[in-house]
Amino acid sequence: MSTAREDCFTMEGKLALPYQYFAGLTGSRFLISLRDQKKIKGLKCNKCNKIFVPPRSTCEICFEEISGNWVDLKNSGTVTGFTIIRYEEPHQPVKPPYILALIKLDGADTPLTHIVKGVPLSKMKVGMKVKAMFAKKSTSSIMDIDHFRPVEGKPKFEMGYTYDELEVGMSASFSKTISESDVYLFAGISGDFNPMHLNEEFAKMTPFGTRIAHGALPQSLIAPVLGMKLPGLGTVALEIMARFKAPTYFGDTITATGEVVEKLEKKRWVRMALTWTNQKDELVAEGSALVIPPMPLPQQAE
Amino acid sequence: MRRKVAVCAVAQIKNEPDIWYQRFQGMLFDCFESIVEQTGVTFDMEKGIRNVVTCSDDVFDARTISDSGMTDVVGAHYRGEEKTAQDGINALGYAMAAILSGHDDLILIMGHCKESQSESRQMCTNLAFDPFFCRPLGLDFLNASAFQARAYMEKSGVTDDHLARIVVRSRENGAKNPYARKNELLTKEAVLNSPMLSDPIRELHQYPVTDWAIGMLLSCEERAREFTDNPIYITGFGNCMDSYFLGDRDLTSNFALKKAAGRAFRMAGVKDAKDAFDIVELNDACAYQLPMWAEGVGLAEEGGGAWIDGNGMEKHNVNLSGGMLNGNPIMLGGLARTVEAFLQLRGEAGERQVDGVRKALAHGTTGPAGQHHGVIILEK
Ligand SMILES: [Zn+2]
Repeated sequence: MSTAREDCFTMEGKLALPYQYFAGLTGSRFLISLRDQKKIKGLKCNKCNKIFVPPRSTCEICFEEISGNWVDLKNSGTVTGFTIIRYEEPHQPVKPPYILALIKLDGADTPLTHIVKGVPLSKMKVGMKVKAMFAKKSTSSIMDIDHFRPVEGKPKFEMGYTYDELEVGMSASFSKTISESDVYLFAGISGDFNPMHLNEEFAKMTPFGTRIAHGALPQSLIAPVLGMKLPGLGTVALEIMARFKAPTYFGDTITATGEVVEKLEKKRWVRMALTWTNQKDELVAEGSALVIPPMPLPQQAE
Repeated sequence: MRRKVAVCAVAQIKNEPDIWYQRFQGMLFDCFESIVEQTGVTFDMEKGIRNVVTCSDDVFDARTISDSGMTDVVGAHYRGEEKTAQDGINALGYAMAAILSGHDDLILIMGHCKESQSESRQMCTNLAFDPFFCRPLGLDFLNASAFQARAYMEKSGVTDDHLARIVVRSRENGAKNPYARKNELLTKEAVLNSPMLSDPIRELHQYPVTDWAIGMLLSCEERAREFTDNPIYITGFGNCMDSYFLGDRDLTSNFALKKAAGRAFRMAGVKDAKDAFDIVELNDACAYQLPMWAEGVGLAEEGGGAWIDGNGMEKHNVNLSGGMLNGNPIMLGGLARTVEAFLQLRGEAGERQVDGVRKALAHGTTGPAGQHHGVIILEK
């Protein structure tokens, strides 16, 4: 008898069995406290002086009953091992690539397996401090912890967004009310004692009819945006252009806004659209900036 | 003196990526007929086979009590039948115990697995995890191995380059084995450039999807010559189960394998693995496992990386069959390793034959990241 592929009948099948898994009394207590109190609990074997998580009612080392020995664990811990899952399969909870890590929670002795997010794949490493982020909706499983994220270390300086972190559409702004003393100080800084800024009687004769601020004064308010907000600390400004549209009167509140409009891949520079508006939402000035975003700092003090 | 258990005959089909033309029952039946033909064994209730040990997995067969799908074709009806739902090396341990205890003097072992029939091997092994704490995270045997691979490589000095060499060598050895899965020969560069599946495990670091079936006839020493002129003896066996949760284990310690090997060595009177065996077969489902298991059984005390650089794989004749890495289905790795040991001891290993093989070690493992290990020692 010949065997040809077309003579071989295959039947498509699928095993799907709705099922209720009982978590056990010990597992139930762990899952309920996770769901209701957002608390991760461990069980301690006093004989072995070891705190286990996930929970179990009996110590597998000495066979001692430990189901009453609950201890509260911290929601933070240290990564002791990890892998980056890059193959895609239906049984995965999130779309790859994703990081699966062994996390030794503060207070526990046995690492727990879970997902880590919020860290670039290439920056993932053993020893990283992470904290649990709880799910918005409970599934009464370990997924009540949605994932773990790196604990913000306490860096001396909060560096700005790197080129890779910046996205077109991100924006930030800074506002300030311009007072008479601001203008007088600015005259001293710039040497521009032009009476149109300082002398009300002279200013009455100008097209504005009253004193106005130096144009460069509201313009300078973009500096805290670029240098301290977006991209932020570490930014180098290459070019700032502004076209003045309306005067700034004393007492006006000026808002300077920067928005990322283009990422220049080749140079890894970023172009930003700039606007200055007053409290009446009138456009005071508009322009653009070209900046070098901060480089990533690999080793900062924890 | 301790009684010995003989392996009288082995029958196998060729390992293939997809045996689309045969049901697993047919695959087993081919092996079954070959055993009967080779040995003349009968199913006579006085002198023949009264007990069968099978090896299969429910999820890979997509039916519960998977042995009930094929007990008829392995001659198990009206007889004792026991299923091993673990690496098949445990079927050997089971059969050995049945014979040494005097429960029976003949045992037929039959194992099968068609990995090709499930949509995904990883989906199957995901089901090996509990539904509360591990399964929802997408854990499976591949990513569990990846945790171990990273930790082990860090500790042992095994590099991506070493892993590539292991895969290339496995394919070369497999090409000399007529029953091995037919695979492309690879260059080191091809392995180094193969995509990452689960860091640091690349696509080519993992054994390919494979279908296979195997049969073995075991007897007590006294009756072995009724079935063969060239019996091979099991002189040692040991196994050990490690903790379930990955976090409960020291993933690089080889805890369970050291225990399993120690038990087998004690039974067989082996003092030092490094000079005890003429050939060694290790169940390397992933490339990093070959040096890691070599450390576990005591071949590579200097650490896996230095052992490979020192030509340890050739010095100890490790995985001349191509290993699991060339392709054997899950559950049957340990039996495939035993088949190679058997053939080498009988002088029937063809192009792969090592001269004067007198003692061999075969190893099997199941469970995520080598949770369970079994070690068997065979002698002429
Ligand atoms: Zn204990």
